[in-house]
Amino acid sequence: MTFMLNLAFIPLLIAAVIFGLLLHGLHRKVIARIQKRPGPPVWQEILHTLKFAFKQTWIPKTASQTVYVAVICLSLAIWIGALFTVWTGGSLLIIFACYMLHKIVEHGTGLSSGSPYTKFGAIRSVMSAAAELPLLVTVVVVYLFTGTLSLSGITAWEAVNGPLFLIAIPAAVSLFLIILSKAHYGPFSVIEAKELVSGYWTEHFGGWRAVLNIANALKTVVLLSVFVMLFFGALPWWLFLIVMIILMVVISFVCATTPMLTPYQTVTIQTIWTAVVCIYAVIVWVVMGL
Amino acid sequence: MMESILVQIPFGDMVHYLSGYTVLLFAVAALFVVLAIVSLPEKPVDIVFGTDGYTLKEIPKDTMKFQRFMAIACGVATVGAIISGDLFNFTLFAALIGILNIGIVAGVKNRHVLDSAFSYGLVVMMGTVPLFAGAAIAVAATGTLSIWELAGLGAVPLISKLLILLGVLGEGMAPFYIGKAEITRAPGAPYILMIHVSSLLLFLRVVEILLTV
Repeated sequence: MTFMLNLAFIPLLIAAVIFGLLLHGLHRKVIARIQKRPGPPVWQEILHTLKFAFKQTWIPKTASQTVYVAVICLSLAIWIGALFTVWTGGSLLIIFACYMLHKIVEHGTGLSSGSPYTKFGAIRSVMSAAAELPLLVTVVVVYLFTGTLSLSGITAWEAVNGPLFLIAIPAAVSLFLIILSKAHYGPFSVIEAKELVSGYWTEHFGGWRAVLNIANALKTVVLLSVFVMLFFGALPWWLFLIVMIILMVVISFVCATTPMLTPYQTVTIQTIWTAVVCIYAVIVWVVMGL
Repeated sequence: MMESILVQIPFGDMVHYLSGYTVLLFAVAALFVVLAIVSLPEKPVDIVFGTDGYTLKEIPKDTMKFQRFMAIACGVATVGAIISGDLFNFTLFAALIGILNIGIVAGVKNRHVLDSAFSYGLVVMMGTVPLFAGAAIAVAATGTLSIWELAGLGAVPLISKLLILLGVLGEGMAPFYIGKAEITRAPGAPYILMIHVSSLLLFLRVVEILLTV
């Protein structure tokens, strides 16, 4: 039974990679249309990934070679694990851990190559650690309302009590900001800002970039899926996909209409929001405790 | 007197605390210990200001050996903090991680980096006070330090939890270190990376503990 479950996961994984890359393509398309450019086709990111996969690939002479390769494998592993957790309705805490471990990937990718550009991308990644705390608060708030950290338990609770989106809007905003902070070309995307060429992954090219693209596609699918499950509950699969696409378009709209902030501004805004959402969590805790 | 205290305090489960969550963290910590053992450090590229030139920084062998030892020890301490089912053991491992992190930074023979190591040392040492105070309050309030026994009871006072969290934030000093420019003067992977890995995993573990107890 477990073997069959694992076997059924493989087609889902392939579909998630393709869908994630299409979402990234849609992201670029929407940004381009808002900026009155034709933009690339929606499937451009799939073509990009295929192109990178077959390009000549090597490891820079300055790199810490083992780490340079290992972080890419880690990146893929954690997001495949996160997708499996979402699929099996596992613990929200594991999703939280995967998201945090992605920081190590960003940091490791940046530090391993020896390039100053990637190193600054990596440093910015850790500087924006304040972005992770709202995610923790989201987890806590969801637990306070539902009494469980299991994704299947949370969706079951919502089936009885209604979507959490209606009663926990600040928590939803927090998770939305988390997803936004990981989107390409976003206001908080300082780790891959253009003054750093491509930021933390500048020196990962060819096959390495293809794997990172796949991992990032999975990351987008996982984060959007978790958002939908946490705040809208278990939806029919077609409606689930539509809500994910709508969320992606909203994120693209924000990315297209806001400038990229400086690292200082990013950390300041994230810290202020962390404080706000912590106060919200305390209020929820006090109210739910009464 | 001391013997009677030691007899009275149940130390709980010393090693076995493996859930799906801690297994994931354990795997990552173990991976980075292996990486610290087998990897050679990067050679940071320094751009010569005002020219097109650049230099490659070679890491002296003795520095590399010292940092490697500290990084491996830090990884092992992180593994300990992750799989420990005892609150006191966890705080000990957390304090050890803080000390070893200072060691990784202080291995670099550069005045600016050493100045920073001194600052981080102060933060880490200050972090041990709330860390152990939190554990002490927990044992005073509940009579046990075993996470197994405390799980789901909600018996640990909020102040104890907040102090432990504060202590871990002091010990896991990656954000403090990254906040300074000195990281750019020191070679990064895989030794400096261990500072981040241990800080992050320690934070993830304490979140699980605080939600459990």
